[in-house]
Amino acid sequence: MNQRNHLGEFEEIVLLTVGILYDDAYGLAITDEIEQRTKRKVTLSSVHKTLMRLEQKGYLHSHMGGATEERGGRKKRLFTITNSGKDALREAKQLRNALWQAVPRVVWEGGNI
Amino acid sequence: MDSKSSYHPYPPNWATRFLRWYCRPELVDEVEGDLYELFQRRVEAKGLQRSRLLYWLNVLMFFHPDYIRRRKEFYSPNYLAMLRHTILLTFRSFQRYKSTFFINLVGLSSGLACALLIYLWVTDELAMDKFHKNDAHLYQVMQHRVQGNELVTSTWVPGLTAQTLVEEMPEVEYAAPGFGLDQYTLSVGDKDVKAMGQYVGADFFTLFSFPLQQGDASQVLADKSAIVISETLALNLFGTTENVVGKTIEWQHEEEYQITGIFTDPPRNSSMQFDFVLSFKIFLDENGWATRWATSWPETYVLLKPGADVHALNEKIADLITRKTNDEVAHRTLFVTPYSKNYLYGNYENGQQAGGRIDYVRLFSVIAVFILLIACINFMNLSTARASRRLKEVGVKKAIGARRSALAFQYLGESTLMAMLALVVAALLVQLLLPQFNEITGKQLYLPINASLALSFLAVTLFTGFMAGSYPALYLSGFNPAKVLKGALNTSVGELWTRKGLVVLQFTLSIILIVSVFVVYKQIEFVQNKNLGYDKDNILYFDRVDWEEGNLETFLAEARKIPGILRASSMGHDMTGHIAATYGVEWPGKDPDDRTEFEMMPISYDMLELLGVEMKEGRTFSREFGTDSAKIIFNEAAIEHIGFTDPIGKTVVWGNEKLEILGVVKDFHFESLHEQVKPMMFWLSPRRTWSVAVKINAGEEAETIAQLQSLFQTFYPGFPFDYKFLDQEYQSMYAAEQRVSTLSKYFAGIAIIISCLGLFGLAAFTAERRLKEIGIRKVLGSGNWNIVYLLSGDFTRMVLMAILIALPISYFMAQRWLEGFAYQTTIPWWIFALAGLLALLIAWFTVGLQTVKAARVNPTVCLKDE
Repeated sequence: MNQRNHLGEFEEIVLLTVGILYDDAYGLAITDEIEQRTKRKVTLSSVHKTLMRLEQKGYLHSHMGGATEERGGRKKRLFTITNSGKDALREAKQLRNALWQAVPRVVWEGGNI
Repeated sequence: MDSKSSYHPYPPNWATRFLRWYCRPELVDEVEGDLYELFQRRVEAKGLQRSRLLYWLNVLMFFHPDYIRRRKEFYSPNYLAMLRHTILLTFRSFQRYKSTFFINLVGLSSGLACALLIYLWVTDELAMDKFHKNDAHLYQVMQHRVQGNELVTSTWVPGLTAQTLVEEMPEVEYAAPGFGLDQYTLSVGDKDVKAMGQYVGADFFTLFSFPLQQGDASQVLADKSAIVISETLALNLFGTTENVVGKTIEWQHEEEYQITGIFTDPPRNSSMQFDFVLSFKIFLDENGWATRWATSWPETYVLLKPGADVHALNEKIADLITRKTNDEVAHRTLFVTPYSKNYLYGNYENGQQAGGRIDYVRLFSVIAVFILLIACINFMNLSTARASRRLKEVGVKKAIGARRSALAFQYLGESTLMAMLALVVAALLVQLLLPQFNEITGKQLYLPINASLALSFLAVTLFTGFMAGSYPALYLSGFNPAKVLKGALNTSVGELWTRKGLVVLQFTLSIILIVSVFVVYKQIEFVQNKNLGYDKDNILYFDRVDWEEGNLETFLAEARKIPGILRASSMGHDMTGHIAATYGVEWPGKDPDDRTEFEMMPISYDMLELLGVEMKEGRTFSREFGTDSAKIIFNEAAIEHIGFTDPIGKTVVWGNEKLEILGVVKDFHFESLHEQVKPMMFWLSPRRTWSVAVKINAGEEAETIAQLQSLFQTFYPGFPFDYKFLDQEYQSMYAAEQRVSTLSKYFAGIAIIISCLGLFGLAAFTAERRLKEIGIRKVLGSGNWNIVYLLSGDFTRMVLMAILIALPISYFMAQRWLEGFAYQTTIPWWIFALAGLLALLIAWFTVGLQTVKAARVNPTVCLKDE
């Protein structure tokens, strides 16, 4: 695993949220979803920047969606996860799992030594 | 509910605009959409006010390099190619519109040439006296004195001022007096030369930067018998500057002086011009009275120490004369003013600085700007008018992606190139005209090749090009390409008004200049022809060289025998300005504080008759009545001041003498007409006269002067016979006005010619554009004159407008200028009428040439094709 493929924590969250929203993943919706699920305050612009970065890395693909009246006639950019994005997520998950398994059980159960 | 859902408050407009301006185009939609959605949601939750604020905040948070558009991405010009393109197009348009090009070139280059000439003159004036190394600390002592109800300011101060200032004022490092700048006869062997000389203090060469080629600045004038001469004088007298120091020169055939040094001739930008200097100590030794504090004689220059407080010094020296005379002379105050400033700011009015030559410097600077402006307006007008021809070019260029700035650059480039060409022509013109210009201005200007001039004129040219090109550049580039290419663009009313306004401005400036020429000319004529109260014609005069009273009498008696000489006498005045005055005349009932000075005029017998001065009452001095030495004659102004109602026979006291009033002469102008006639007194004292005057018969000047010269040579061998004519000297008093008169004539002429060139171009253009209209009108039966009337009507209205604006302004300006004269000509109404009519006629003539040509066009020719 080289440095290029490394996913940051916030990147991982954004990438996963795009997955959650599936066919309606655009900037504001993603921001809302993250805020609701993580209970943390995120700004639209930081999510946007992350989305752009992920697209540059090839984890996301985007296309322009239809304009709606509630957006004042502006189109939205809809994101979908690419295969390499899925790989990256899986890799991140595996890494985490491996790390979880490496932790001795006694740490969780709190036995006497 | 319905109404609520259809209502959408708008996010702050400026924030959205800002976002659109900076944001990359491919991102702007989504960002704006997200922000909009967020905003709408927030309005419901948090209220409008807060949401707007948050919207702003969000927009600012997107202001990040990732989102800011990169200009280079979609525009990368090849600058060199663009430049070549611009230059190519410029030359093509010059070629295609030759008359416009020619009008622009002639207009701009003559405008620039005028500006260049005036610039040379102005810089020369401004640089006057500034070349001294000590300039920053070099000051001249001046004196205010109370005269009647006002303060009169002069450069003359008491003889001991310099010495006292150095001794008593710690701020003063060096000081030197200078006195008696005049022509003197110098001789070496049997060679006689007239040269300008003056008595100066020992530190003169330390103060001023008149570099000594031989001799030491601090030593050359240490000795009383010293004389320091200029390089030119040395060459004149000895033919060389080698081994001249140490030789002796005879002065006025009276004294001998030894040369102690040679200085380089004073440069042209020195207001002080002299060929030799003598020690001031000699002057004081021979004229003991000059050391009295109650008299004012020399000019005095001081060099202050660096950092000296001039205001404090002025306060300290203000009452110097009062202190030195123990309160006897309390109406004279001294002050210092920067030496080099005195040249331009030499006039004082009631103790306040009131201009001087700087007025003319300003006047001509304004004229230069006027003329340049008129030339620029031509350029602008013709370019905007011609713009319609280039609309298609602009449209195509914009359609294929030329940005507005590139178009603006093209037009500015065009006008700058034009201005550069004009500058080259102007430089040639200036080179050609400089000799004549120098003759008029009395200067020795030349076109120097130096970086500062080149740079400043390059700057002026660029500025001119920019000014001239700015309107078309900003205006042409703003066209909407779609409309232009469809041909739907109408000339806007605003554009027409601008063009007309500029023509009106041009003609306003021209008319103001024409009126000024008339007014200046009238005043000069008035001055020349005013009855001065004496007859200045055919009077010749020269300085006395010999001070024996008996000799003078014999000389005058001999002179009277020459057939062409009507009268001969002598006086202690030159009739062209204030010479010497006294406030020492006392009469019963005189206010003890009255310091009004009476101009002093010692005369010989026959002098008043020679001048043709009329007597108001009493008689003049006459040999037939025995001795008239204890008698005095006043002018009307003096009697009026004294207040005697029946003055003949009454006495006044002057010095220690009682003088009986013998007669009263009618007032005559012994100073320039800038001044009121002041009180004057005449007394019979041939001993104190210094100017011999003769009245000669008109028509016999040449032979009379020849005879007078030979008489002079027999009486005073070794003295050159150097005479002046009174009427010529009188005219030279108005040299500045003459200069203004001549120059303003030329400049007004140039201004009107340039204006007309512009009008000519515009008329030609209008006629051309309306050719089809004219053709149709003619087909429908319109006559030639109808068409001429139609086409000239517009221009007539513009010129009439200009006349309306210009006349009040020029009237006001003329009044202001005339206020400088105590005796003014009247400005008759017809001067204004004439100026207006002249402008109108010239405009008609110019436009007429074009309109007649247009009116005579054959309609079949111009309607043949579309």
